[in-house]
Parts: sequence; C-alpha cells; structure tokens
Amino acid sequence: MLHNKRSLRLLLVFILILPLLSGCWDAMEMERRANVLAIGIDEAGEKDRNKDGEVAHLKNSFLKPQGNLIKVTAQIAIPGRIPLGPEQGGGQKPVLIMSVVGHSLEDALQNLQQQVANELFLGHLRIIVLNEKVARHGTKRLNDLLRRNPEIRRTAALVVSKEAASEYMKLEPSLDRVPSLYLADMVDNLSALGRFPPSFIGLFWTIYSSKGQEAYLPYLSIKQKNIIELKGLAYFKGDKMIGKTSPLEIGVFMAIKGVGKGGYGAFVQVPGSDKTVMVRIRSRKTKRKIELKNGLPHVRLKIRYECEIDEKESPKIKINHSKVLKSIEKETAKNMKNSIEKLISTTQAAGSDVFGFGEYFRAKLPRYWNGKIKTKENWERAYQQLTYEVKVDTLIHRVGMKAK
Amino acid sequence: MAFTIKRKRAKKRDIGKDAAPFNKGVKADSDAILSPSLDDTVSGIKQALGDNDDLIMKYFKVFGQYEAAIMYFSNLVNQDSINHDILKPLMYVPDHLKDRNRSLDQITDMIIKETIYHSQAKLEWNMEKLIEYILCGETLLIIDGIKEAIRIGTRNVEKRAISQPETEQIILGPREGFIENIQTNLALLRYRLPTPDFQVRTMKIGRLTKSTVAYCYLKGIASETVIQEVEKRLSEIDIDAIMDVGYLEQFIEDNPFSPFPQIQSTERPDKTVANLAEGRVAIFVDGSPFALLVPVVFNQFYQTAEDYSSRFLMGSFVRLARMLALVFSLVFPALYVSFISFNPELLPTEFAIAVAGGRAGVPYPAVVEVLIIEVAMEVLREATVRLPKQVGGALSIVGVLVVGQAAVEAGLASPITVVAIALTTIGSFATPAYSAAFALRMLRFPIMILAGIFGLYGVVIGIIFIFNHMLSLKSFGVPYMAPVSPENYQGLKDVIFRAPLWSMPKRPAFLNPANRSRLSKDINRSEFGNE
Amino acid sequence: MDTRHITTTQAAAILISTIIGVGVLPLPLFAVQAGGTGAPLVTFLGMVLGAIGLFILTFLGIRHPQKTIITYSEDIIGKWFGRFCSLFVILFFFILTGLAAREFGEVVVAGVLQETPLEVTVIVMLLLACISCRNNINVFSYIHSFYLPMILAPVLIVVALSLKNANLLYLRPIIGTNLPHMFLGTLTISALFQGSFIVTMIIPSMKNPKKAIKASLWGISISGGLYLLLVIATVSVFGTEEMKQIFWPTLELARTTAVPGNVLQRLDVIFLAVWVTAVFTTLFSSYYFTIHSIKQLLNLPDQRMLSCFIFPFIFISAMLPQNLLQMYEFIKFVGRVGLLITIVYPGLLLTIDFFKNRGLKGSASQQT
Repeated sequence: MLHNKRSLRLLLVFILILPLLSGCWDAMEMERRANVLAIGIDEAGEKDRNKDGEVAHLKNSFLKPQGNLIKVTAQIAIPGRIPLGPEQGGGQKPVLIMSVVGHSLEDALQNLQQQVANELFLGHLRIIVLNEKVARHGTKRLNDLLRRNPEIRRTAALVVSKEAASEYMKLEPSLDRVPSLYLADMVDNLSALGRFPPSFIGLFWTIYSSKGQEAYLPYLSIKQKNIIELKGLAYFKGDKMIGKTSPLEIGVFMAIKGVGKGGYGAFVQVPGSDKTVMVRIRSRKTKRKIELKNGLPHVRLKIRYECEIDEKESPKIKINHSKVLKSIEKETAKNMKNSIEKLISTTQAAGSDVFGFGEYFRAKLPRYWNGKIKTKENWERAYQQLTYEVKVDTLIHRVGMKAK
Repeated sequence: MAFTIKRKRAKKRDIGKDAAPFNKGVKADSDAILSPSLDDTVSGIKQALGDNDDLIMKYFKVFGQYEAAIMYFSNLVNQDSINHDILKPLMYVPDHLKDRNRSLDQITDMIIKETIYHSQAKLEWNMEKLIEYILCGETLLIIDGIKEAIRIGTRNVEKRAISQPETEQIILGPREGFIENIQTNLALLRYRLPTPDFQVRTMKIGRLTKSTVAYCYLKGIASETVIQEVEKRLSEIDIDAIMDVGYLEQFIEDNPFSPFPQIQSTERPDKTVANLAEGRVAIFVDGSPFALLVPVVFNQFYQTAEDYSSRFLMGSFVRLARMLALVFSLVFPALYVSFISFNPELLPTEFAIAVAGGRAGVPYPAVVEVLIIEVAMEVLREATVRLPKQVGGALSIVGVLVVGQAAVEAGLASPITVVAIALTTIGSFATPAYSAAFALRMLRFPIMILAGIFGLYGVVIGIIFIFNHMLSLKSFGVPYMAPVSPENYQGLKDVIFRAPLWSMPKRPAFLNPANRSRLSKDINRSEFGNE
Repeated sequence: MDTRHITTTQAAAILISTIIGVGVLPLPLFAVQAGGTGAPLVTFLGMVLGAIGLFILTFLGIRHPQKTIITYSEDIIGKWFGRFCSLFVILFFFILTGLAAREFGEVVVAGVLQETPLEVTVIVMLLLACISCRNNINVFSYIHSFYLPMILAPVLIVVALSLKNANLLYLRPIIGTNLPHMFLGTLTISALFQGSFIVTMIIPSMKNPKKAIKASLWGISISGGLYLLLVIATVSVFGTEEMKQIFWPTLELARTTAVPGNVLQRLDVIFLAVWVTAVFTTLFSSYYFTIHSIKQLLNLPDQRMLSCFIFPFIFISAMLPQNLLQMYEFIKFVGRVGLLITIVYPGLLLTIDFFKNRGLKGSASQQT
C-alpha cells in the first residue's frame, strides 16, 4: 500500500516535471549568438537615409518617432574566426561590421537583427562610440534602451569621437586581433594610467541624473590610419555635449575634481633661465570649501600636488640644490593656478558644472539649495555666477636617479 | 588468498542449500536430547548433516575403555591439532590418570579438566546446537553411555594476511587494514584499545549464514540511546544470508531512498578506533573486511584518518582542496552549461569569443553535449574498475586519449567541454569516501538538466533542493549536517579546517557522548614555547 | 520526546533569513522615493518600527511560552473572536507568500530568464518551498541557520566591492526634505520587516523561551543593519536622482561592481543566483507559517498534505497582479495594511493580556 502510494506520487511528480523538459526557453548557445562587441553611432547622412528599414514602423503610415535618423555601426564577433589559444593561423577578419539606420537605437538594432542570422547579444558590448555630432544633439534618446536592456553592462565604456563613429568600427589595430577589444581596453586603461578620470556608462548616467553635476566623456580622434588618440575631455550640459578640452586640461580637470592619481606632466620654465624641465604629477590632494558670499555660491579650492622631475631640457640647468627645486615648485604652482582658473571660467561660460560643485552645495547647504536652486537648470544658471579662489601647493619629492 | 575466500563462501552457500531440509527436520524436535547410545547419536548427526564427504568421523576407545567417536568437518579445522591435542591424550592414558578410578560418571569431567590440551571444551546436550557447532568448525567428542557430547573449539579457517587497505590509502599513518575474519578484526581493535570500557556485543544474523555480527563501543563515551538503537535495528533484521556489511547497512540506515550514505564503512582499524573514541558504534560482520560506523554526519565523508595524524595546517589545507573537489564534482558541469548557453556575459569577452569559436562546429546544445560526454565518462569509469590491472591501463589510454581527441576532432564535443568534464571527474576522485562521492556523482545529472532548463537559477534551485534534503536527513538520531546546522561552535573547528588537536578538548556534541572531555584540562599548548 | 530544540542562535538565524528576502532588491528604491537623501534615516526608522512589532510579539510569546499567536489569541480575546482574527493573520501570510513568489518571478524574468514563462519560475520556487514544508520545525530551523551565511555574504560582498565607486556627498543632507512622505516611507520599509512575525511560531519550540528577546534583538539588528548598509551603499554610489530611475538598485549595484582581477565580468547574475537562497528562506518561512497556523486553527494532526493542498491557491494568488507596476502598488498596499496585523493587533493583544493578568492578580491578592 505504502509502496503503491509512493510510486503514484513519483509518477505525479514526473508528469509535472515533464513539461519543463520542453523548456530551455532561454538557452541560446554561445556560438549561436551574434556577440555585438562595439557600437558606433553617427547621424545618418543623405546617403544613408534611404537605408531605413521598415521593421519597427512603416514608412509613412505608422507613427514614427521625431528626431534625426541615426546610423548604427556594429562590430559582431564571428564564432570560429577567433581561435582558441595563442595564434593559430589567422589572416581572416575575425569580426563582421554592419551598418544600419534607424530612428532610435532600438529601431536600428531591430533593423540590424533583420540582417543577421543569429540573435543579437549585447552582453559583451564593451564600448559605445558616439560621434561628436550625435553627442552635441543629445544622448537622451540613446540612454533609455541602454538602461532598460538587462544584457548591457553598466561598466561598458562610452566615448565621443571626432571622426565618424563608423570609422572606429572599421579600424584594424595591429595590437589585438579583435579591434573593438583593443579600443575598449585602451579606454578602460585610461583611468588606471591616470590619463582620465574614471568614466564608464553607468557613471555617466549617475552624473547626468544628479542635479548639481554635469557629465563628461573621453574625446577620441583618429591620428593616422589605425591609431587612436585621447584628444581631450568632452563636457556636457544636460544630455548635450557642449565643449571639449585639450589633453593637458584633462589633468587640470582631474585636479579640480579631486582625482588622486596623477599622470600628466608639463614643461615648466626654470626661473632664471629660458630652459624648461618636465614636471610630472604623481598625486594630488584637493580640498574644496564652499560657502555663500553675498548670496552667491563661492568655492575655495586648495590643491596640493606631489610631483617628480622626469627630464630636463638641457645640461645647463643644474638640479643640485633644494633651492632650485623650490623655485621650480613655485613656478609650477603658478602655472597650475592659471590653467585651473582658465578651465573653470571656460566651463562657466558654457554653463556646464562638470566639476560637480553643485553637489557640494546641495549636500552641505540644503537650505540654500532647496530655497533657490532645486532643479538642474537653476544650478546651471547659478554656476555661471559662481566665484572661486584657487590655491595651489606643489611639492617636488623626487628627481629620479640622476644627481645633477 | 583470494581463492580461499571464494572457496569458503561457495561452501557456505552449499551448506545452506543442504541445510534447508535439515533445518526443518530439526526444528520439529529442537529440544532433542542426546541419547546415551553412541550409535544413535552418530546416526542422528549423520542424518542431519546429510551425506558429506568432508565430514570426518573416527571411532576409537577413550583410555582404551569406552567406545567413543569424534566428528568434525575436515576443512574447517586444524587436523594436526586434533591429532596431537585431542586424540593422542585420549587414546594413551596420561601418566597422572593411570592410578585413578576412571568410571563412566567421572569421565567427562576428567577429559575436559585433565586430559584435552585445549582451552575451549564444553559439554552440550542439545542436538540442534551440536549440529550448529560442528558446522562452525568445532569438533564433537561423543562417548558411548553419556548423554552429553563434548565440543571442542578447533575451528581454523584459512584467512588472508593483514594488508594495506585498498580503498582508503593514506600517506602518513598506520598501514593495517581489516580482513574478512571477524576475530582478527576485533583483535586489531583490542590491540589498540586495551581498556575494559571497550565492549563487544555479538549476535547471529542470517538464517542460513548465521553470520556473527558484532557491534562495539566504548562504555562511558558512546551515548546509551545510540547503542540501544543499534541493538534494536540489528535485532530486527531477519534475512537468509549476509555476505557483507553492506547488507546490514541497507537494513539499518534511516532513509533508504536518499542518495547520501548515512552510515560510514571503513577498512581501517585506526579510523575505527578514532571513531569509537568520539562516541560512535562500530559494527562488524564475519566475512566482511569493512566496519560500519554509526551515527555519521556528512562532513566525515570528506575527512580521512590522515587529516588528524598530519599537522593541522597541512590537514586543513588538504581538506580545503578536497572540499573544493567535492563542490567541483557536483556543480562544475552544470555551471559550465549555464555559462555557455545562458549567461555568456559572465565570462571575460576574449575568453567567451574563444569558447564560442571552439563550439562552432558542435551540432548539439551544451546540455546534450555535456550529458553525452558525462555518460561516456561514467561508462569508461565502470569499465576500468572491473578490469584486471594490466588491461585497465591500456583501456584508460584508449578511452581518454584516443576517444577524447577523436570526439573533439569529429566535432562531437568542444575542447573546453572535455576539459570541464575531465576536471569534474578528477574532482570526484578526490572525495575519500566512495559512497559519498557516488552520491554526488549521481546528483550531478539532475543538476545538469536543471541547468539546461533554467541556467544558473536552475543550478541554485537544485543545490537548495539537495541541501534541504541533507538538512532533513538523520543518522541514528543525529542530524546529518551537524555541526554546521544545528550549529555547534566546538564542532565547527573540525569541518572546513581542522583545528589543532590541542584546541579541540571536547568530543563532538552532536553525538551526545556520555563523557565529553577528551583532553585533560591543564593542557595549554602555548606554554611550551615559554619554558 | 522533548520537542524544544531550537537554540537562541537558530531563532536569530530564522528571523534574519526570514526578514531578508525579495525586499532586498527594491528596498533602496522605496527608501529613496520616500526620503531622498534621507533614505538611510527612513530605513532606520522603518527598522525601529519593525522592531517594536517584533518585541510586542516576543513579549506575548514569553508570556505564553507553549503557544503561538493562533492559540493564545483564543485565550486572550475569547475563542471565536480570536479565531476570527487569526483568520486574517493566516490570510495575510498567505497573500505575502504569493506576492513574494511573484516578485521573485518578476525579477528573474526581467533580469535573467527573459523567455521563460513567469509561471514556471514561480511554480518552481513555490514547489521548492512546498516540499521543504513537509519537514518538522527542527529541520525548519536547521535549514534557516544553514543558509544564513549564503544570504548575508552576497550582499556584503557587493557592498564591499562597490565602495570604490562610492561618493559620500550623495548621502547628504542626512535628514530628508519631505516629512509626511518620509513617514509613509517608514511604513513601507517597516513592512519589509514583517517576516519577523515568524517569532510567534518558533517560541513554543525554543529550548529557552526566555531568551527569545535576545534572539529578536540579534535578528532585527543584523537584518536591519544589512538593509541600512545596502541603502547607504546604493545611495552613495548612484545618488538619489539616478536611483529613482532604477527598479532594483541593489541589482544595479551588483551590475556596476566588477570583481577585482576580472574573474567574472558581471556580478549581477551571480548575485541574482545567490539571492534565490534568500528568497527561498523567506518564502519557506511564510509558507510554513501559513500551513502551521491553519493546522493549529483547525486542530489538524499533520501538515504534510496541507502543504500540497494550499499550493495551487498560493500560486493563483501570486498570479493575480497584472504586471510589475501593479504588483508593486499591491505590495506596498498590502504591506501597510499588514502593519495593522503585525503591529497593531499584537499590541492590542498584549495590552488586553496585561490588564487581564493584573486584574487576576489584583483579585487574587484581595482574596488573600
């Protein structure tokens, strides 16, 4: 009796489980996915307009989103072309590059799917390149899909490019077999090398959402064929890119922002001679004090640099006495102060608080913030009237292994 | 050696067959008392035992006066000893008895106390018991005119020499293993435990085999409830034949449907003694070189005797590696499946693309691929286990190298799959207890299928399911997952790591030992350095 | 045989793993919606409110160490009225079980298994709880204390790894801006602590019921501490404005965090997988409580069949909300209404019981 009952129960469980076996709903073998490794987004030119597919909408009858058409170039890994282990054969191109046009990112991706046999998979999307024009028109309409789709990594890189983003997809750097991986690694390494403050797509959204802060992204350009260069920092106002800095100013930006890791160096004239030495920043320490002066926001910045001398221009300069170092320190501090003030005033003119001073006011002076500012737009306006004091200290601790 | 064992077993079975009708006959008059007539008795025994050529019977005259006979099975006894120690003194009247009155009513006493050179000699009057004794290898001495027979313990069965345990090899530690003979096994324990607290209780189980079953424990350490429970469960067994302790295990375990072993079997006397000292009970069966240890908890199955004899850092490290292997053998293929077909985004991009490349030619989904290779691996393993050693090596080369390589090249499996399965298989070898390793090997398959349906989510569901089952298991009243849950701080020192012996002053609490302390209280290891 | 086996540690473990459950994912969002930068404060207040409810129940349990709320409510407010109220308690936990399973299913379907039918994920989870409910209360406590580290560890690891991206500025000002909003938020948050109601079921099986206070204290402070930590971590990484745009900030936190050395590229999937354990323990508790209470209410001898019997009903209740948004509206509503059951009702019971006892004592002393 007991046995019968048990076998009956087993049978029941078995019948219940049976439909599960027809499952595997989500199983999608790795090699059957089209791994999108990188995406480049451009504005569609005249030529591309008529490429618009009619997948998510019909050309005239269906409701069609406003805004310019965008051209999306995707780099898709071809399974089997990237062999296991180091160097086996090769020669063939390991990635597939495809270009589509759409009204929104999702629209474009749908068009892309229409042309690819395997399901598009964005889980390995490492880098998204935005053409400068697209960035200047606003990134708002791209963000929504990227946030909604659970496959997309929040740690993917987002960069702005000077040239057409499709160019970046077609690059063939010789250092890595997969071009987009080289590009992604390069961008990811920027902050480790101290060339750029931390920047990834999630951070971009976070900054963009917060009220007292404006976003920034790396600005790349193609130097020669197949060589990419970090050309500056693109700063935003709201979701629109509004300007860019020179590469050296990235260092200045990092100083104001308070990123500890230094990396940039600059030529500093040695007082009393017309020759220069290369002073490289090892680390920085930034203190910001905020207050209200006559009802207007005021920031006091105190930055302390730790530097080392990397190189001197000519043997005439003698670095053999602490006095010489002192004078170089002073000169460096003066130069730094100038460039910091210049950068702040540039962004003020643009109305883009890319340094995030506003967050300090929001956090530390809630009464002022809630009374007068409250929204991002108000702060953009208030930022233009922000006054500031900058104090720079420079310390040179190391001169390397050369005695003179 | 092996040959003798086989022969012995075969013979036992034969006796069983023959004995079946006899049993009935005797049962009818089980209290049959011997008749004083020698001829009646001999013919009664002969009738009961049937026509066996190895039954030796010799008529002779005790002290040249009384008609008598001795009976024994020739291959169960040491005939030299019978000739010299029993027949000789009985046939020649010993010097010290020459002048005495040797009347019939004193003769038995005289024979037992003053004549036979043998320590085991007793009187017996029950026919049924006599037959049992002779079947066990004793010699019967029947004297005409006396209602009792003298039984003499001459049993001497061929046995294997004590050798190194095959299933539980260790690097550091004792080399002895149990053998089939229960007396030898108990001797091995006695030799390590010269204490009156070491108690052995025996009973006979098996209607045909009448196997001696012994359970032993340390009085004052093992919990009374466990001892009683063991006694109760053993005495409820009623089966015709017991060949090995495995038979007993299936009768006394708590949950026969669980894949997990709830009783540990071991070949090692040192391990048995260590467990007795922790408060467990050991069960032996004559004819089996294994001891059963109860109650057990799961963490025992990945521990070895060596963990304790090596220094604690070494023991802990090895144990950690073993646990890793344990987890590997259970979930690795499932994780592999879910990474490949559900969440490739978890792998580093470079690796993911490379893996996809490796899989490009494989026609099956990852689950099917892994299942095929796993099943092939199981078949291969079973094939090698049964083969003689000389052939086994060749087979494993063919199986692993040739088939594996060919499968990859034919596009039946991707190279990474083969690596994953190989790792899993190696992992399953690292679990010291065969039965526990087997449980995990079996459970690997349902988890793999779950992974094929739900990916990582399925793997976790499967693991929760298994853990819940393990948490609800009990072995002789002790929760299976103790001391992890229900938690016990002292016990936790011996689960993942093995704390130094001097820092574990208590016996495991989950065994409810009657006496918990194991070390003397004064031991404070840190003082040594200061002196 | 002696049935009192649950130790104080196990009782605390049961509380912690029951409280920490599906709520881990949307909790920071609830807190931020209510309090802005005051989210940690809101969480803390919610925890205090939850603790009050828990302590009322613990005191009641200690006064009636042999009984659960189902049985002692009959003593305190009369047999039929007590049973009537118990019906609501059971109904509430019944719905809670369904909703927890549903919320779990929604997250899984949105986050990892997009093609898998919602029903399947929910059924599998409920089945797991249903089968586990066939064990006795000792195994119940073993299961909870066994999984405890697996519940705490993933959250702690994610929080620790995310500190790299933290920005303490986002946490200020500590006191939020909108006070009435914060109050409502406190209620929502304290609804996440409703699992602590389970304490009434475990006190009768505790080795030492007097120590239930200690267990409750540990239970609420560890689970509350973990929630607080989570809110602080998410707010300091994302800032309040970004969080309002994310359904499950905790999951997003795991997505933003990278394991050092790039062993695994994404933590969110792993986090979700381990989080299944936390959901299971919560579901298991409320399921167990439901059938255990029904068993006591109807004086049934065995709960094994009951656990299978109510399975389809719980499944149906889980499928009631139409979509994710409606489900969350429903959860918030049920949670606040539930406070009546988990805090106000026991509070009333305690007061009545207290006066009744004093009256008894008073009359007793007058007589002597």
